[in-house]
Amino acid sequence: MIMALSTLSFLLAYISVLTVTALGGMFSEKSGTLALSLEGCMTFGAFSAGIAMHLLPSSMPDFISALLVILIALISAGLYSLLLAVACITFKADQTLVGTALNILSTAIAVVLIKQVTKTEALPVGNSRLNFTRFYEIFNVDMFGIQGVKFNWLTIIVLLLIPIVYLIIYKSQYGLRLSSCGENPASAESLGINVKKTRYMGVLTSGVFAGLGGLLLITMNAEWEFANGANGFGFLALAVLIFGQWKPLFIFLGAFVFSAFKTLSVVYPSINFLANLGISSYFYLALPYIVCLIVLVFTSKKNVGPKSLGKPYETD
Amino acid sequence: MHKIKLFFSSFFKKNSTKTVVTSLWCALMGLILGFVILLIINLNEAAHGMTSVLGNFLIFSNAQDRLNYFGQTLAKTAPLIAMSLSILVSYKAGLFNLGASGQYSIAALVITFLGVAVNMPWWLVIIIAMIAAMLWSMISGALKAFFNVNEVISGIMLNWIALYLVNGILTSSPTVWDAAHSEAFTISDTSNAHIPNIGLDRLFAGNTIVGLGMVLVLIVVIIIFILLKKTTIGYELKTTGLNEDASNYAGINKKKNILIATAISGALAGLAASLNLQNGFTSWTLSSTTPVIGFQGISSAFLGGLHPIGIIFSSYFIVHITDGGSMITDLGFSPEVASIMTSIIIYLSGFVFFVKEVMHKNEIKEELNKIKREEEKRL
Repeated sequence: MIMALSTLSFLLAYISVLTVTALGGMFSEKSGTLALSLEGCMTFGAFSAGIAMHLLPSSMPDFISALLVILIALISAGLYSLLLAVACITFKADQTLVGTALNILSTAIAVVLIKQVTKTEALPVGNSRLNFTRFYEIFNVDMFGIQGVKFNWLTIIVLLLIPIVYLIIYKSQYGLRLSSCGENPASAESLGINVKKTRYMGVLTSGVFAGLGGLLLITMNAEWEFANGANGFGFLALAVLIFGQWKPLFIFLGAFVFSAFKTLSVVYPSINFLANLGISSYFYLALPYIVCLIVLVFTSKKNVGPKSLGKPYETD
Repeated sequence: MHKIKLFFSSFFKKNSTKTVVTSLWCALMGLILGFVILLIINLNEAAHGMTSVLGNFLIFSNAQDRLNYFGQTLAKTAPLIAMSLSILVSYKAGLFNLGASGQYSIAALVITFLGVAVNMPWWLVIIIAMIAAMLWSMISGALKAFFNVNEVISGIMLNWIALYLVNGILTSSPTVWDAAHSEAFTISDTSNAHIPNIGLDRLFAGNTIVGLGMVLVLIVVIIIFILLKKTTIGYELKTTGLNEDASNYAGINKKKNILIATAISGALAGLAASLNLQNGFTSWTLSSTTPVIGFQGISSAFLGGLHPIGIIFSSYFIVHITDGGSMITDLGFSPEVASIMTSIIIYLSGFVFFVKEVMHKNEIKEELNKIKREEEKRL
């Protein structure tokens, strides 16, 4: 029973991480900017939150510290995503190039600064692994009051976000404007929509969402190795976004499928049937990516993505 | 005097000069921002740290040490040059080879087995590794050509699949896997698969890592240069890259070109793995992230102005500061400072096209003003 519930809580947390990050990416891509730097934004949000969790005094009330950490993750990742916006929207830089640069940069910054704060007399070089047991206990509560089954309550925030995002994208003026900038920016501009501003908002939203995804990812455990960045979850979220064909509900479904495989790679040794098959754990790790490639083969022919995705908008 | 002025103005108007100037500007900005980070971390040691990063092997007082480490830096430059060429060829054809890490991983798997377990001759290992990486890369190419799958996305997916595949196979093969150190056995100096040193160890104070690889990669640079500049294949690749519709109209087979471009760039990523793993210096290490060299290749390709010759210098520069970065741990800095610098450089390379565009616009404005002034004079 406890096993099954732990598996469920793992699954829920993975689904939430992927959903919130992919939904963020959707805002960016729907407005026309490639969301390749999701991994970098997640890492940056997670690392800023990590520093905060390390430095905040334990005398501060739990509720206020948790709130502060969440805010720091959201704001820092949002600001970081602006680096992408400035380069790609204002200066028309190559989006793949800049996205890649930002992914490497955030891991490098995270490692350098985390090592800086973990430095001690005995360990003069510092450590890129950060422990935040106090906050692990704040963010994770016992599921259904059962001891030993932890549940990260940030998950609930994410699940509440899904219907809100759905309404914003399909029912609000902002959502329709966003989509029009990614489909046909020239006609959007002719209708009086500020294309560049809308795209900035899209990228900023993706950064903020990815920041929440990053925080949720690292607080699933009591410590995190920052040398691995966001452990590829940003790229997985990108895959989920494409798998979900830029639609909120499909994205949730995609996140569910991917998380199921990801959870399987964690829990399969304790499931007798699967452990007896003798398949390497690496196979389970690779499975979501293989599934995504296959899905891409079937969905790419139709070209369902935003028409002007990845193309800078020329005003003159 | 007027002639000199004319010479300089035409010199700065040349496209290649603009490329060099903007690349140098990117490199300089990367270094300056890196220095700022060092200053923030430790005000007193920052200058010292920067000297180490920029000096690399030059900071050793012993001449023999300097030569030895210079050889090591050169040996590490060779694979990066191959990797940058891989990025370059695909970019010229309008593709972005973000899957280079995966192609490198697959080649590393082949090299480890053929080099450590089979002890095959070095040249045969290189050829097979290049073919393996080429085939892996052509998965992306075929998906793009026949199913319209974005090569950037499939490349990223294939990177992770390759990583888990290689880790899974190597960790369960005790003949090639050193479980105690979580890495594959290194191909030793005496192995058949070791790329010959061709007597360069005497030139570099006994350093056996540097060798024929450096020469090989320079030959490949020339081949790629000729391929892109002088051959029909190169011309067609570039045309597809510049304008897909026009090239289609001109009767160039787009699908064929995508396959050719991904094949060449995959083979080059495989060569990078050979040059890195067949010199007795390092081996495949268990890691949960894809090999970083694939991304370093992007930085040096762009910093080198997307030109085969420029890439030689930019690759050396990036290895030089990365190696230098590994020396600043003694000062209490983290070696990833060099990684910050290179990623800032890639980020800024994104602005290069914009800067060039502005330069170009200014030139046109100047010309127009000149004509206007002359006309006013005449009136």
